[in-house]
Amino acid sequence: MKSKVIIVVTVCLAVVTIGVAVGSVNIPLYDVIRIALNKVLAVELPPDIKKTTVDILWEMRLPRALLAFIVGGALSLSGVVMQSVLRNPLASSYTIGVSSGASLGAGIIILYGISIPFIGTMTLPLVGFVFGLVTILLAITFASHIDRRMENNTIILVGMVFSLFVNAITTLMSALSREHIQRLVFWQMGTFSGKGWATVFILAPIVVVGAMLIMCFNRELDIMTFGEEQAKTIGIDIKRVKWTLLIAASAITGSAIAFVGVIGFIDLVVPHVVRKLFGSSHRIVIPISILLGGAFMVICDLIARTIVTPSELPVGAITAIIGAPFFAYIYFRRRAAKC
Amino acid sequence: MLSVNGLYAGYGNGDVIKDITFSLMEGESLSIIGPNGCGKTTLLRAIANILAHQGTIEIDGKSIAMMKHKDIALRIAMLGQISAVYFTYTVWDTVMMGRYLHTKDRIFGLPSKTDTECVMHCLETVGLMDEKERGIIELSGGQLQRVFLARTLAQEPQIILLDEPTNHLDLKYQIELVEYLRRWVAGGKRAVIGVLHDINLALRLGDNLMVMKDGCVQVYGKTTDIINAELLKNTYDVDVVQYMRESLRIWENIKH
Repeated sequence: MKSKVIIVVTVCLAVVTIGVAVGSVNIPLYDVIRIALNKVLAVELPPDIKKTTVDILWEMRLPRALLAFIVGGALSLSGVVMQSVLRNPLASSYTIGVSSGASLGAGIIILYGISIPFIGTMTLPLVGFVFGLVTILLAITFASHIDRRMENNTIILVGMVFSLFVNAITTLMSALSREHIQRLVFWQMGTFSGKGWATVFILAPIVVVGAMLIMCFNRELDIMTFGEEQAKTIGIDIKRVKWTLLIAASAITGSAIAFVGVIGFIDLVVPHVVRKLFGSSHRIVIPISILLGGAFMVICDLIARTIVTPSELPVGAITAIIGAPFFAYIYFRRRAAKC
Repeated sequence: MLSVNGLYAGYGNGDVIKDITFSLMEGESLSIIGPNGCGKTTLLRAIANILAHQGTIEIDGKSIAMMKHKDIALRIAMLGQISAVYFTYTVWDTVMMGRYLHTKDRIFGLPSKTDTECVMHCLETVGLMDEKERGIIELSGGQLQRVFLARTLAQEPQIILLDEPTNHLDLKYQIELVEYLRRWVAGGKRAVIGVLHDINLALRLGDNLMVMKDGCVQVYGKTTDIINAELLKNTYDVDVVQYMRESLRIWENIKH
């Protein structure tokens, strides 16, 4: 197990390094290391490295790669939580409506340029979080009303219905304000383009605190995968734990999505891969999902911005192109196994 | 040790069980029998505090309505019908989950020496020590049920509730489960309440017998005192005693 963890950490470091080195201007690995040493340890910068290279690396690529890493980690982690709490391998923020809700909230902010007094730059993540949370609360309440046992398919179907409905509102809204439509459409497809250190500094603490909180519940998550009744008789305070976890997961997803737009499927795919490779114990699944999810997102972003240079593809499309077939594979394989 | 008084419980649209009253002493076991849908499982779920109830359920004279959730779980454990497994854990980790409330390290949940010893003992009891590293998704239904039994034992409860746990077990393990629980219940301040499908197992498990019909207690008392052909015939709507006698004739003709 230890060697596997070392491999994962190495992969993450390698991916981030490649993520900052490759682009319209390729920066040699040696230079990347020297610039990093200069910035972090104040080692003197050799004269053969141009100032523009330093700026590209430090002001554009690195914050972008870090943001992609944080968002990828946050989404994967929320996927882990949703799947375990709802006991459903197909649950994720994306399939259950958190993403659509957050995107509606962020859409309102972007279209109408609203900024809540006192919280300023925090408006966007906060509204994303609140809308995401409200959507999942509505979806779960609705699901539990029509199906007391909250069967797998009910949750997925209700989540889909809510997603589509909320998406329709967002679409209507953007159609009614044509001057902003392009901005909104691009934002909805998800992109890390043009995000600097400021975004990293806002999002990182939210995700770190959320992840630490969720990590404290790793045993509860293990036990809850056996169902709420068993968890209750083992001694878990189901109501409190369940809502704390769902709120934490919605918070990190909602605020991440509010900044970078809707990026789907990563929260569904990464937890599955991690469980397959490392087993189901959440003590392992939580940190590894964050790391691998982050690395996966950095790669997707790298593909998104390099494959058709000089223009950029929305990263949400890249994750979906990889994720959708995987989703289908999991779903239909399970169905086939039941027959 | 356990006393239930005027208990009503249900699922929103009316009470499934009505006015249930009974009590169990230390070291006693109770089997509940009755036709499908008569409220046996509902009664167990109410006692396990999974379902909201009216009336009183007392453990050692303390009402569970006044007890903290954790204090109830430390006293009452439930072994239910086998449930679907979505995510696989090793046998060891699954049994260790039963130690949830006992483990002192609340944040990382690292097991203490006592926890480890308890899990080892429980695995030995159900005969799965050799399988401890296997994933539970690979196990047969019977093995999985034994893992859940070990997890229930690892909780170190005072009262074990059984909700048809023998459904997936081979005959050998059905008998072993009942015999084990009889020994378990005699070994301290403990009680067992079982809902078992098999009438033979039910009679073997319970010193006391409760017959339920339409959510009410029909007959309750010492098994040996109350059991008779008429009662069983009414409960199961078939002449059980006659059936068993006929079966016995087949058995008697089997050569040794």
